[in-house]
Amino acid sequence: MGRTLPSATQVFLQEQDSFARFRRALRRSDQLALDDLFTSARQHLAAAQYASHALPFEVFLLSMLLEEHKEVMRLRQQVDELISRQK
Amino acid sequence: MTETIYGWLFDVYPNETNLTLWLIGEDGKRYRFVQDFAAAVYAAGPERRAERVDEAPRLRELWKWLEAQEVPVRLSRTERRDVFQGMVTVLSAEVLQSARLDELFRKMVAAFPDLTYYDADISLPLRYAAAFNVFPLARCRLDVRGETVISIVPLDTPWELDPAPAPLRLLSLEPDCDPAHGEPKAITVAYERVRYSLPLEKTTPLLASLHHILGRYDPDLILTSWGDTWLMPFLMKICKESGTTLPLNRDENQAVVERKEHTYFSYGQIVYRGRQVQLRGRWHLDKHNAMLWNDYGLEGVLEMARVTRQPVQDAARLSPGTGISSMQFVTALQKGILIPWHKHQAETPKTAMDLLRADMGGMVYQPTIGLHRDVAGIDFVSMYPGIMVRFNISPEVPRAGTDLEPAPGEPGIVPMTLAPLLNKRLALKSALLTLHRWDCRRTTYQALVSAEKWLLVTCFGYLGYKNARFGRIEAHEAVTAYGREALLRAKEAAEDLDYEILHMYVDGLWVHKDGCKTPADFEALLADITERTGLPISLDGVYRWVVFLPSRVNERVPVPNRYFGVFQDGSIKVRGIECRRRDTPPFIAKTQMTIMEILAKAEDAEHLKEVYPKALAFVHMEMEALRAGRVPLEKLLVSQKLSRELCEYSSPSPAARAVRQLQEDGKVVRPGQRVRFLFTLGKPGVRAWDVPEPPDLRYVDVKRYQTLLKRAVETVLAPIGQSVNGGKDKECPYLFPVKNIKPLGEGGTQQLDVHNLSPDHSFRNAIQGGEH
Repeated sequence: MGRTLPSATQVFLQEQDSFARFRRALRRSDQLALDDLFTSARQHLAAAQYASHALPFEVFLLSMLLEEHKEVMRLRQQVDELISRQK
Repeated sequence: MTETIYGWLFDVYPNETNLTLWLIGEDGKRYRFVQDFAAAVYAAGPERRAERVDEAPRLRELWKWLEAQEVPVRLSRTERRDVFQGMVTVLSAEVLQSARLDELFRKMVAAFPDLTYYDADISLPLRYAAAFNVFPLARCRLDVRGETVISIVPLDTPWELDPAPAPLRLLSLEPDCDPAHGEPKAITVAYERVRYSLPLEKTTPLLASLHHILGRYDPDLILTSWGDTWLMPFLMKICKESGTTLPLNRDENQAVVERKEHTYFSYGQIVYRGRQVQLRGRWHLDKHNAMLWNDYGLEGVLEMARVTRQPVQDAARLSPGTGISSMQFVTALQKGILIPWHKHQAETPKTAMDLLRADMGGMVYQPTIGLHRDVAGIDFVSMYPGIMVRFNISPEVPRAGTDLEPAPGEPGIVPMTLAPLLNKRLALKSALLTLHRWDCRRTTYQALVSAEKWLLVTCFGYLGYKNARFGRIEAHEAVTAYGREALLRAKEAAEDLDYEILHMYVDGLWVHKDGCKTPADFEALLADITERTGLPISLDGVYRWVVFLPSRVNERVPVPNRYFGVFQDGSIKVRGIECRRRDTPPFIAKTQMTIMEILAKAEDAEHLKEVYPKALAFVHMEMEALRAGRVPLEKLLVSQKLSRELCEYSSPSPAARAVRQLQEDGKVVRPGQRVRFLFTLGKPGVRAWDVPEPPDLRYVDVKRYQTLLKRAVETVLAPIGQSVNGGKDKECPYLFPVKNIKPLGEGGTQQLDVHNLSPDHSFRNAIQGGEH
């Protein structure tokens, strides 16, 4: 209500929209992966809002990277468990 | 000869020239008095800082003009404080016959449109309340001579927790059915334990009986259902037709006051306010046209009147926004601060970077989707009003930074207004914690707390509202900035104490820590947060379990305010799901609520697997009842708001189609009003409930209701089912709790003893979304 600037969610949706042409040209499987990346960026909208960065897409990229890294750590842990179980 | 009378101030309203006052005496008598009361309007010229009025030619012209008017005025030149501009020189015009102020002011504005006016549109009851520090139902001492009040002295304040209750006589009038739906056949009249049913068909005996009842019981308050919109207009109409009068008013010199219906747009919603009928010398309250009646009832309405000082009949029908404005007006009048008639305050210029940092609301996180056990919900108590009072945030108080330090200097008008209200609410809340479960004060206190809550909530919005007389966007932004800072400090405090943050929402957070299950376990955290922020925080409760739901569109995207959970005492908290929505058919809302009640029987998350089949069996039963047509039609009614005029729809919504049917029947529905309808087979797919012919059972669109029911059931049972059976949420990467990740620098890998997992453990993992 009565905002001068768009909220982080609005900015996010605009940014996502701006990649519509890019997405359209991707293979279907790649499109789904891209959607996943955007979904993971959505997890950190509150932080992105608080950051009030002048270039919000940088924050969204970092959010994607953050979720990717969490995933890497999770997988690494699973691998370690599997290895230790085999020993 | 002067007489002294003690009693409760009942009502104040203007008569032809001055004020009429009603008092409920301690002797049980109802007194009517009159009082001379002068009301002042101020005018400032374009030359605000002129030393004398005669240096301001326009004000001098106004002075001469006022002297020539027929209404007696006392004129003087004074200095008064404008909140935004400091001291200004003004012409003060005290209208001695205050009831004629509006009439005089209209002429004044027409003759001198270029002047700046102050205190012009404040209602007389508010001015009176400010002048004598009284309020509706205040206990007072009156010195009177004959019918005239010489002096009035209040004996209590609106901030009293247990004021001496006024002995109100309450008569209730109710038609036997909703007049929008059918033709009422009788009115039920109730006074204490006496009940009558008066048939409507013959007007002469009806009016005679009502006349007798009003005379015999002489009620102070007439409480009606649909009285504003139907009953009172109906009674007045038949009175007129039969040429009789009905003593609805106690003040026979005054006419019943009628206000027209209107529709307006507020906070992205269209709101409809029905016609109003107000009495003089008595109160008339319509349960269906009173704001938030279902929330707080008569006690809440009276509390609204006491603290906002609006007359009871207005307080019941006004929005909390008007309530909080009235409170600020009273503070301003009492402190000699000018209330601008029209505000000319623009936002100060900001750089783009400043705007980027300031133009934000509260922090709203994305919760961790899924079912969580042993979660504490903690909330800052009245966070925004608390911030305004503690850190002295007011439009006229300059400030810098978000360092959680009070602004120096005198408290501003906003904190000054709020502080007593906030303190009263805190006192009531802490009293509620200690009162015995069966204490009779509980329900009263609850109603008061809820009424005050609405005032405090709106107060924040009005701080940023450009048309609010004491609003200023910078102050509004300061409040949210302090709120964000406080919430982040709370998060840091929780994480420093090894709590996992599941969700944060503006003024509350949801935290979990293994082994913390009782309120005592969270005391240290609460104390730490209060110390770091300076704001009071309280434990909303410890949940046995709580489910944060994903968005309907994308099941991996969490939404901030869609959750349900069960507290340790078995009570249920629900936000944002079907049973909270007003357009959900009662049958579906009831089914969803009952499912949650069944789930709440499990003493903790571990026992959910025992009640889950019971919930499924119940759903099966309800589905069967729906299919077999055993659900009463009124339980299937959908109630939706008409969002615009019918002709403005390009493709009519179900609500609009239902309204069209009503229109064909000659009934009018205005935007903002609700319309009730059933989903039916074939075209147009809906059937308005309030058309006269009874609907045919066979045309109910059972399939559609089954879909709605299924959706509502899935909202609640899908996450529980996944937890009980172990489902796909185990694979969801976003549920991976960060606490199990070893920071990269520490090296080594975490060992998890997979061989020693008990079945119970795996269940817990399922519930918490997979720890490995």
